[in-house]
Amino acid sequence: MSKKNKQTIRLIIVNLFFILICFGVLIPILYAFSVSLNAENSLLGANFSFLPKRMTLQNYKAVFTEKPILLWFKNSMILAVVTLVISLGTGIPAAYAFSRKRFPGRKLILKILILLYAFPSLLSMMALYKLLSPMGLINTKTGLIIVYTGTMAVFALWNMKGYFDTIPVEIEEAARIDGASQFRLVTGIVLPLAKPTIAVTAMMILVYVWNEYIFAINFMTGSDTYTLAAGLYSLQATEMSGSWPVFSAASLVVSLPILIVFFALQKNMTTGLTSGGVKG
Amino acid sequence: MKKQQHTDREKKKIRRETLSAYGQSLPSLLLILLIVIFPIIYTGYISLTNMNVYHWNNYELIGLENYKDALLVFDNGFLTALFVTILWTIVNMVLQLVIAYGIAMLLNTKGLRLRNVYRTLLIFPWAMPGYVSILLWKTGMYNSQFGLLNQWIQKLGGEPVRWLGSNVLAFISCTVVNLWLALPFMITIIDGALQSLDKSFYESAVLDGATWLEQTRYITIPMIKPIIAPSVLITTFTTFKQFDIIYLLTQQVGAKTGADIHTILTYAYEKAFITNNYGYSSAISILIFGMLLVFSMLTSAKSREEV
Repeated sequence: MSKKNKQTIRLIIVNLFFILICFGVLIPILYAFSVSLNAENSLLGANFSFLPKRMTLQNYKAVFTEKPILLWFKNSMILAVVTLVISLGTGIPAAYAFSRKRFPGRKLILKILILLYAFPSLLSMMALYKLLSPMGLINTKTGLIIVYTGTMAVFALWNMKGYFDTIPVEIEEAARIDGASQFRLVTGIVLPLAKPTIAVTAMMILVYVWNEYIFAINFMTGSDTYTLAAGLYSLQATEMSGSWPVFSAASLVVSLPILIVFFALQKNMTTGLTSGGVKG
Repeated sequence: MKKQQHTDREKKKIRRETLSAYGQSLPSLLLILLIVIFPIIYTGYISLTNMNVYHWNNYELIGLENYKDALLVFDNGFLTALFVTILWTIVNMVLQLVIAYGIAMLLNTKGLRLRNVYRTLLIFPWAMPGYVSILLWKTGMYNSQFGLLNQWIQKLGGEPVRWLGSNVLAFISCTVVNLWLALPFMITIIDGALQSLDKSFYESAVLDGATWLEQTRYITIPMIKPIIAPSVLITTFTTFKQFDIIYLLTQQVGAKTGADIHTILTYAYEKAFITNNYGYSSAISILIFGMLLVFSMLTSAKSREEV
């Protein structure tokens, strides 16, 4: 066999391998998608196929009309936006100070921050509960916002500090020599340069709040106070009960914004995160 | 005298810079101190008490009793959970690295035109919200009545399997889900590292008659190692700290599947929120935190040596 033929056969095999693997990887999502569209609801039928014979949007309609998903969405958005504003508002100046200024205690604080980053907030959930409950903050949005802001404050400070480190300080020095004020310097030069990291950090905070369920289900008790994640958690079909088609429709609805954000930011993701040296 | 003035001014400048730095970072540091550090210290305090559901307010200090219970009484389950966690981390990391390396190598096959299409499809699981994927796996794939796996088995004439019903099978099922979730990131990292390699090394190796295996062993792996090391390290930490997969698949409240595997994190959670043994659970939390501290100090010391 000639070398070229051999090469072609190899390429065909590799392509086949990838087609199989890609399909295999997507099966759980495709299955959920197909179930959510299937009009016959014949889950137990032996003739399941990925393309339902009769399609329906009934399950999606049920998600929006029978379940308080819009209320959960509103709750999630409020939590996300407030957490975002506080984390960025406190994080940006702090990250800038830690990147640009040298002062006693800086190294020690940075070291402590790395260690805190390794600490799963789940482990202090009990203590947080015990601390928030006498203040009447359990089952309130404020309570969850406090927890989320603390967790994200460490991430925001550390991630953005890493990015500020990569911006050459000479740019600012040049502007200072040109007579720019401190305020002008920050709003006119530093912030525009830091846009990628601010965008990625903001996205990571939104995604975190969007996906966080364990604090939400333990700290919130009524289904009208649930976030999207907690709500979806409560919708799941168990072995015995629950509607799997409606659940799969709800899952896909909840995932869609995250998917869009992920693929839109995929390029920024690597630069905005890797330079900070942490993965979200 | 003049010099004295000079250093005075210098000192003033340092003081001013310190003040403004702390001024700028005060809100952020205060948040971290109050919401992150203080609860950890408080957890440490609770771990020295007998706080539980009967002693929610009238608890008392009992010294290191909880730590003794965790570390010396084997039947309490902490040591088993620790063992499972270590096994889980090793199995998952080895499989992840081997599979991701294989797939990344194949993605770099010369002349593979659809490379980017495959890559995009393969990173799909990374883009999905993790807990949603886990729940979809739980119901869609593993459910013993209408899960896809059992539908296939039944079609082939087999008996339905309770995938999450026994320890070993549940461990394997959880590993599959973890690989599904984690491989996209690892493939991306290794693929990126492979792309950055200088191809000329291979040309001379081929001239010297090196086989594919020799090339892999002596060129590829040593060259990508420093590039992927930080990501591998971070992934090892996340694998060690894994909670969602095992909790959501096997031990949700009211929906336990029968398997009894615990990682240290699900163990700490169960002791706090299911059996309500707060003091004991806090001791577990502090032990885990201690382990993570030691790991991250060791690894950061090591990476500093290498740089």
